[in-house]
Amino acid sequence: MTRRALPLAIAVGLLLLPLAFIEPRVYLTLTIAGLAMGMLIFLVASGLTLIFGLMDVLNFAHGALFSWGAYVGFSVFLTLNRQLGWADSPSVGLNALLLLAAIAATMLVAVALGVLLERIIVRPVYGQHMFQILITLGATIVMEELIRIGWGPNDQVMPVPFSFQGSWDVADVIVLRFPIVAIVVGALVYAAIAFVLARTRVGLIVRAGVESGEMIQALGHNIYRYFTGVFAAGAALAGLGGLMWAIFSQSVRPGMGGEQLIFAFIVVIIGGLGSVTGSLLGALLVGLSYNYVAFLLPKAAIGVNMAIMVLILLLRPSGLFGGGK
Amino acid sequence: MKPTPVQEARGAEAARRWRRPAPWVRVALLAAFAAAPLVPSFQVVDLALKIAIFAALVASYDVLIGYTGIVSFGHAMFFGFGAYGVALAVGRLGAPTYGHLALGFTAAVCVSGVVAIAVGAFSLRVKAIFFAMITLAFAEFALILAVQASAFTGGEDGISPKFPGVLGSRTVTYYVVLAVAVALFFLMSRFVHSPLGRVLQAIRDNELRAEALGFRTFVFQSVASAFGSVVATILGGCYAMWVGYVNPESTLGIHIMLDILLMVIIGGIGTLYGGLIGAAFLLTAQTILPGLRAAGASLFPGSEWVQRLTERWPLYFGVLFILVVFFFPRGVIGTVRERAARRRGARA
Repeated sequence: MTRRALPLAIAVGLLLLPLAFIEPRVYLTLTIAGLAMGMLIFLVASGLTLIFGLMDVLNFAHGALFSWGAYVGFSVFLTLNRQLGWADSPSVGLNALLLLAAIAATMLVAVALGVLLERIIVRPVYGQHMFQILITLGATIVMEELIRIGWGPNDQVMPVPFSFQGSWDVADVIVLRFPIVAIVVGALVYAAIAFVLARTRVGLIVRAGVESGEMIQALGHNIYRYFTGVFAAGAALAGLGGLMWAIFSQSVRPGMGGEQLIFAFIVVIIGGLGSVTGSLLGALLVGLSYNYVAFLLPKAAIGVNMAIMVLILLLRPSGLFGGGK
Repeated sequence: MKPTPVQEARGAEAARRWRRPAPWVRVALLAAFAAAPLVPSFQVVDLALKIAIFAALVASYDVLIGYTGIVSFGHAMFFGFGAYGVALAVGRLGAPTYGHLALGFTAAVCVSGVVAIAVGAFSLRVKAIFFAMITLAFAEFALILAVQASAFTGGEDGISPKFPGVLGSRTVTYYVVLAVAVALFFLMSRFVHSPLGRVLQAIRDNELRAEALGFRTFVFQSVASAFGSVVATILGGCYAMWVGYVNPESTLGIHIMLDILLMVIIGGIGTLYGGLIGAAFLLTAQTILPGLRAAGASLFPGSEWVQRLTERWPLYFGVLFILVVFFFPRGVIGTVRERAARRRGARA
């Protein structure tokens, strides 16, 4: 129990620490923004950590899948808004429908890309870390360049559905709307992953595979099928993360995935390679501290995440929830 | 006194050395680089020295990736440290003197050594694969720092320092930088063939075995990382001396890192000399490609898609990158050496 209590105590302590410097109302606004950012990073990091845990593959192409997700969602948003006006419409139902349509399209494309990547790019180099890193990096260059060719190289403005714009005013605290949506989506995704891993047969095999892939094969399961499945699921989550991030930041850029990948790496290291709960905690820690520090000392915002990562590596080298793997 | 068998073997090896083509190729290359300033076109001279700098830079990266088996994404950062160290010391400390130049190099080398050891201590102690992730994060951090601390570093605009004394002359600078690059190359060759280099290769081939033999693998890996990074730093300083201009994009950015990776892969991982082939290929291609693009655009006027496809030449480098890793993982030099070894084996 103490093993779990310690990181929890650290997290709660860090959560409350900025109250000493920030007035409570601003603090709450920042907290919501930080939670939302953390949830979006979690969408990227969870896939990365599962892929690493199960297949021992460090997937540098995860950032490019994020960018692709953002651009596919961007196209769906633009098309449906131009044809049917679903984003500009004040109807909450139509806005939600638009978001669902974009999520479906994004995840479908991301799954397809993920399966292709795993089958063509990653499968020939299983077990060779260096070539995995190099080849997924090559895939990243190609995928980002394809975005630049298809959608153009410059930043573009992402239309935000009408209902997700603006804010609520709850007892003088400004609560932006979209971050709440992002937090809900992130929490749902976490619940879904936790449920699948803990309660289903597939989840059982994946968890066992994280412990020992050879044993799974010896017991007669085709582990490569699970590799493809987990890779595709991770890709879908990265794509979803990209779409949500595009709405959150109201823009799309071909290089957006690369920056998120660095955040995701930091989160995965903090949380412990292979642990989904660890990456949730790590992502929230990174999202929150980034927002607090960006408010207090704008120029130190990136540095604080590096500092947390270095601290964790020194104190607990295998991460908050990392096993001995 | 009669020579011992070992001395005899060494003598025979030394006599044989000059009968092989490899040393003559080296002499010819050196002569070609030394003669390059005689070419009246500045573009050619510039290209030649950049090839020399990048060949040494890629070789210093090869010490890590090819001889130690650790993948770093921070190599461009160390190159940038050198470039910024020299540019800041010469450009920002009043009138440029040789003292400032030496100070710039020394400070940059110290910073790089400390950062490389620290990053190694954080990551290699835990897991070699962390090294790739953490160096990437550090490199991004350094890039943001260089852009944001604009009062000090000049931000996106960078710094263009004036160099002291004889270094104002292009030709003198050319030979100074070339000499440094060649010396560093020689040093790296000694490094990877030293007993220390052997241990590094043992770690690369089987980390567990090396550990079981009693080597503290992460100490050796950290030493290699520090060595490669310091060499990259010195080359960064040389680059600043030659180009006379330093900005985040051209020295610290991620695409310098991608260029280094592509060069090392094309030339051959774990060959040292591969860097020369990779650098020559990629830098020449990057010099020629804009002209080709213009030619391509004039062949198909008005076609937006052709224009878009020719404009994005990094795409083709990315495809090349994947293809080389798949079908040609030993690179040019590695493949040539493999063929030669096979032929020797068939003859024997």
